[in-house]
Parts: sequence; C-alpha cells; structure tokens
Amino acid sequence: MDQKRLDALKGRIAGHDVSTTDQFGELLEAYALGALDAPERGALEAHLATNCPQCAAALTEARWLVSQLAYTAPEAAPSDMLRGRLMKIVREEAAAEQAAQKYSIRATTVAPLAKPGVPYWMWAAVAALLVVAIYSTWDARRLSEQLRDINSRAIAELNSRAKIEEELAAVRREATILADPASVKIAMATSQPDTGPLQANWNPQLGLVVSGQKIPPPPGDRVLQLWLIPKAPGGKPLPSQAVRPDARGNFVLLVSNPPEQMAATKALAVTEEPAGGSPQPTTTPKWVGGVILSDTKD
Amino acid sequence: MFLAALSPKPNDDATVDAALVQQVLQRDMRAFEQLYDRHCRLVYGLVFRIVQQAGSAEEIVQDVFLQLWRNASQYDASRGPFLPWLLTMARNRALDTLRLKSERQRRREDQSEELPSICAVPQFEKELDQKRRASRIRELMTSLQPQQKRAIELAYFEGLSHTEIADTLNEPLGTVKSWIRNGLMRLREGLQATT
Repeated sequence: MDQKRLDALKGRIAGHDVSTTDQFGELLEAYALGALDAPERGALEAHLATNCPQCAAALTEARWLVSQLAYTAPEAAPSDMLRGRLMKIVREEAAAEQAAQKYSIRATTVAPLAKPGVPYWMWAAVAALLVVAIYSTWDARRLSEQLRDINSRAIAELNSRAKIEEELAAVRREATILADPASVKIAMATSQPDTGPLQANWNPQLGLVVSGQKIPPPPGDRVLQLWLIPKAPGGKPLPSQAVRPDARGNFVLLVSNPPEQMAATKALAVTEEPAGGSPQPTTTPKWVGGVILSDTKD
Repeated sequence: MFLAALSPKPNDDATVDAALVQQVLQRDMRAFEQLYDRHCRLVYGLVFRIVQQAGSAEEIVQDVFLQLWRNASQYDASRGPFLPWLLTMARNRALDTLRLKSERQRRREDQSEELPSICAVPQFEKELDQKRRASRIRELMTSLQPQQKRAIELAYFEGLSHTEIADTLNEPLGTVKSWIRNGLMRLREGLQATT
C-alpha cells in the first residue's frame, strides 16, 4: 500500500479528510501572496472558515514567509521632511488627546429611587434633585464643549507661534552659517547656458546652506534636489532636501542635519527630480561643486 | 518540518519592537520615534518599490505609521513579531494605492480596511537578526530561476494574480503556478538551511 493511500486510510480512521487539507495546503502560500484567482481563493476561504487547525498553522507560517519578501526591495530612505511631518501630526494628536482628558467633566450620579411607603415630600425632593442633576449635566456638557473649543483654538495658536519660532530659528541659523568663518564655501558650477552658479556654505556644527539667484524653475511641479557624493569608492549619492526657486528665481535651502559629514563628502550636486524628491538621482546633475577642506577639522 | 527552536536572545529585534509598541500604547512619543527610525527605511523601500513614486511612497509610509500610532492596540505581541505585521500593512496600503479597479481589490488576502493578520514566526527564524535575514533573503531570491523570481515579484510587488501573471509573461497558467509554488518552497527551504 503506497503512502498516500495509507495516509488517507489513517485520515478516515482519525475522522477527518486528509485529502482536503493536502489539496488546500498547496494553495496557502499563493493565498498569503494574494496571487490566487477568485475561484481558488473562494474555495480556500470556505475551507479556512471550518477552522482546520493544520491549515491555520500553515497559513500563519505562509504569511510570515511572504512578509520576508519585503527585504528584496531595493534599499531606499525617505526624506527628513517625512519624519518631521509625521511627528508633527502625532504631537498634535497627542496634545489634543491630553487636552480632551484634562477637560472632560463627569456627569453627576442620581440618587436611587425611594422605596414604597416613603412620604410624599421625599418624592418631591428626589424629583427636584433629578431636575437639578439633569440641568447640571446639560450645563456641564455645554461648558465642556466650550472649553474644548477654547482649547482647540489655543492649541492652534500655540502651533502657529511654534511654527513662526521655528522659521525664525531657521533664518538665524542660515545667517550664522553664512557669516561664520569656520564655514566652508563651495562654489557649484553649471554648464547650463544663461544659468548662474549656486553657492553652498557648509558649517561643521550648524549645517549646510545652498542658495541661488535667478535660477529658472523646473517645469511642472518638479524640484531641485541636493545630493551629497561620498568619498568612499562606489558610494551612492545620498539624498538631501529639495526646493523650488520662488517667482524671481531665488532660493535658500537650509540643511540642518546633512546625511554625511563634510570630511567624508567629495562633492555636492543638484539635480532636477519629481515633486517630493527621489531616493536616487533620476537625471544628470545640473550643478556640481567639489568639497575642498582647509586644515580645519569637523 | 522546522528545526527545533533555540531560546530567543533577550535583546533581539522582536523583543525590542514589542516593548516599544507597548510604550506607544502608553502614548510615549519617543518610543514611536524609535519604531519609526528602526523601520522607516525598510518600509519606505518596500512601498517605493511598489508605487515607484517618491511622493506617493512618502504619503503611504506616513499613513502606515499614523495607523500604528492610532491603532497600536490592534497588535498582539503574543501572536507574532511586529515587523512582519508592519510590512504586511505597508504592502497592503501600497497595493491599494496601485490598484484602480475594485475587481483587483477583492484579490487581496486581507479584504477589509482592518489591520493585517499577525504572522507567526517559524521557530528557526527567531535566531536571525534583521540584517542577516535581509542579506539571506536577497541571496535566496537571486538563486531562484529567473522565471520563478519574476513571477514572485509580479505577485508581491504588483499584486497580480496567477492569471494576470500568466497573461503578462505569456506563459501557461499551470506553469506560473508551479514557478510561484516552487520558488516559495525554495525560499522556505533556504531559510531553514540557514539555521
């Protein structure tokens, strides 16, 4: 007797259908991958709904195996701006949650009804208390809503002020980088006709400022993106921030935390990229400047 | 059949992640930032590979991590490690963005808008740290036959079904099913052989 028939016999003795589990077992990894066509998927899901323990266990392992395919995606890094945006939203939500908890007002409890045989005047007193309690609850709720509204406006004002302060700090930082003798000046030349060079100033402690004047804006919603070219042989360009010149063609780009140290950087480059930037350059550089250090250390 | 398990190291990646998620449940922002810094590159790399646009990829990554902040209670560490759960959520979101037709949306394994099912880790995998695992998976994928690799990539990164892959590659349906089945089997066996 071959093994399949022996297993089928054991299955019948055990009281379950071995062949059904085997049949669906082959589909589980494709199911976890999302590759099954509708008829097979429907049949498998109907079987899974029977809570088959072997298939349930095999499916959790199949899901784990499929999740490992994420490691085969090419390495890439999101921009610093994404982190900033995300944390800002989370901070605002956390602040709103705390404010809502702080200003929540609990409704008062109501006294239990009196037992039969109690004097009439006590019933009247309970009724009066009920009316007072209901009004207090309504008034408290109204007050709570007003307080929440005031709080929301206060949070918005604080956020607005924080934003202004952030912008002011950025402007001060830019000015300091430009004026500090320790900053390294990097001229970024271009071969484009009728387009001026960019100027970069890199301060080892404060960061990097790249500026341009009368720079033609990229077409559509494309942006100019800064890249740091590492000295290490074979090193890929490291993405930094992106910017669009204003209506007059001017821009100042502040990079407070460059992705690489100045001493490990061979050159700076600027390319034209889609809105939001790219993890790797998709066009040839329009400006390039070599990072030439003097005797000063980082 | 999987090999017998060794005890996971007390400071392994999965343990650290589980502890951070617990702190996020207590609304600890620094724990949330740590989770983001630990996994944003892998999540972004996966999403970017699927949607092929930096702007869309960043929006999806932001959405995934906001979902984590708002629904951390949906994750149960006793049912599996955090990272496969996060990666599955990211893949689902990216494929949702990629798919325009509702017919395709029904093929996704996790049909609802709810968070994905937990993926339990086979015992042998608990010993591989993230870097070694990434390197090993890439090696194994490279070692597959080109057609197996291509079929799996079409399913995983583009959300195509067996039939759609067969149409794309102009190959018989049965052949495509074999490629995917055998390719995944080789990946699984390769990971077992690593431990």
